[in-house]
Amino acid sequence: MLHWGQEADCDGQTMRLLIVEDEARIAEILRSALGREGFALDAVGDCADARAALAANPYDAVILDLGLPDGDGLRLLREVRAQGNPLPVLVVTARDAVEHRVAGLDGGADDYLVKPFATSEVVARVKALLRRPGGALGTILRSGNVAFDTIGRDVRVGDEILILPRRETAILEHLMRRAGRVIPKALLEDKLYGIDDELGSNAIPVHIHHLRRKLGDHGATVEIHTVRGVGYLLVEGGA
Amino acid sequence: MILRGPRSLQGRLVVRLAALFIAGMVAIAAFLVWRAYDTADSLAERELSLRAADLARYVVRGADGTVRLELPVPLQKAYEANPDQDIFALRSSDGRVIAAQPAAFGALIERWSAPSDDPAYFHLPGISGGTQDYYGLGLTVDSAAGPVAVWVARASGGFALIHSLLEEFIFDIAWVIPLFMLLCLAIAVLAIRNTLAPIRQVSEIAASIGPGTTSVRLPEDNLPREIAPLVTAVNRALGRLEQGFAVQRQFTANAAHELRTPLAIITGALETMPATTELARLKGDVDRMNRLVEQLLSVARLDAVALDVSANVDLAAIARETVANLAPWALGQGRTIAFSGPDGAVSVRGDGYAIADALRNLVENAVVHSPPNGEVTVSTSADGRLQVADQGPGVPEEDRAHIFERFWRGRRAPSHGAGLGLSIVAEIMKAHGGNVTVESGSGGGAVFTLGFPRAG
Repeated sequence: MLHWGQEADCDGQTMRLLIVEDEARIAEILRSALGREGFALDAVGDCADARAALAANPYDAVILDLGLPDGDGLRLLREVRAQGNPLPVLVVTARDAVEHRVAGLDGGADDYLVKPFATSEVVARVKALLRRPGGALGTILRSGNVAFDTIGRDVRVGDEILILPRRETAILEHLMRRAGRVIPKALLEDKLYGIDDELGSNAIPVHIHHLRRKLGDHGATVEIHTVRGVGYLLVEGGA
Repeated sequence: MILRGPRSLQGRLVVRLAALFIAGMVAIAAFLVWRAYDTADSLAERELSLRAADLARYVVRGADGTVRLELPVPLQKAYEANPDQDIFALRSSDGRVIAAQPAAFGALIERWSAPSDDPAYFHLPGISGGTQDYYGLGLTVDSAAGPVAVWVARASGGFALIHSLLEEFIFDIAWVIPLFMLLCLAIAVLAIRNTLAPIRQVSEIAASIGPGTTSVRLPEDNLPREIAPLVTAVNRALGRLEQGFAVQRQFTANAAHELRTPLAIITGALETMPATTELARLKGDVDRMNRLVEQLLSVARLDAVALDVSANVDLAAIARETVANLAPWALGQGRTIAFSGPDGAVSVRGDGYAIADALRNLVENAVVHSPPNGEVTVSTSADGRLQVADQGPGVPEEDRAHIFERFWRGRRAPSHGAGLGLSIVAEIMKAHGGNVTVESGSGGGAVFTLGFPRAG
């Protein structure tokens, strides 16, 4: 966690998040966790304040609780989407019944987390939202001491530049965009198909093997795990 | 001695009705036979009386003053044709025997006192050494020669006609009575069955009521007035029970729900603290609490709403997604998860979220019981099975029947959970018409198998 630098876009401007949460202690914990990651934060406790804050400031993402004292967070979300606002929204709620989860995602949420959650999970999800193509974190992805410039397409481990073949670079990008979560092998194959039409069934494992060795050789503090039969995930730690 | 009768209302009614019918049948038959014999007797008496009057008609006083019986020739012949069958004797008022056949009878009645105008009956067990029994009557009748006493009798076998008539009645007609009674009994049984049908229906509905179907009520229309109050009372009791159940479920759901927010606060707050061994232990405790709350919510949900298992779902896709979701957590615990299955879909009918929930419980269980660096393998096969295998100590044979019960915890099990996870799995599988079983893996460890009926 100490390796995370200040999260900033390419202009060096700090990213601003809105937390809509009526439980003061949770808002406080989210503020401190996200604040440590370098985000600027505003926290409000109900729908009315949230509307006012959204109208007044351009936010990069919103963390939205659904059960608010003056109404349903889902309604607020639908209002935002009705205005054509593509703002990334992470819904955080104590509701977990399946229909609520589906309603949340149908209502325009980009991701969904059920309480109780680890704050590190919230941080990871928010970053993943911001790293989406078009998201505010579109340029440099960081995990451990590995930094990936999505525009220059170069990879650094610490201060050292790591030269990777095109396909390994593409795989690393996908793993880093969703660091800490499993990327299905089938998804990676789909993404690489455009690059290499002659993709063999063993191609991905071979690329992963090379990537893993090269990251290890350069002392990267990330590890790529294989979840046999499913896919791969990149986590911090190790080396 | 206490005889235990049948327990069913229908059985009791049938037995009692049958007893009543048999008693009735016997009474009626006895009455009929008695009446028949009575009538026969009356007939015999009447015939004897007529004969006495007939005989008296032919008593004449001769020119010499003697009283004689002058029977017409055909009548005379009729009497003579059967001298032992029909006997008679006449005596004039002065005590002289006018006529007698046989003579021995005449000798006999000489000593008898004169009868009155009303017939006096007698039974004659044989005359002059004969074995023939006679039944007869004597009475005093007016004749042309003044009042005469007349005795007529007939051998007991002489009532043969009447007896044959009676036998005819019993064998040709009376046997119909038991048949008729049986028919009545059969009709009565049918009537009872029909009358009890609504009660049987109510019983069947009542049998279907369980903790998951507390909204069912017994139908109250079309019931006999005697039963209706019982059914109404049962329905009211069911209503109160349902309310109790609903309150209980709502309480569980609310409690679990309300616990989530403070747990989220604790979980979050612990992460902001500097790492120590004590903190790591606390985090473990909070994780356990989180899991328990999730399981309580699952239990409350399963109790409250019936699963809709009609959709077609792909077991392989569910397994891959669940493994992907749990892999980061398992890695954090120093264990790995793998999936193996066919490339194509494994289609079954069910609720995808519930199946994922069941699988998650099994995988969490397997990870917790795995040795460090152990691997948990989730696999699915085309015949609609989902398996979770671990490299832990396995489940002892004697525990296998109990591990799917709520709050059951093995003696050897480490104190990780509340003993809810596997009962949730079992309930989800029951709702799918499938089952969950556990056995030993080929290389030790436990293998849990979820078996689904194939999608039709």
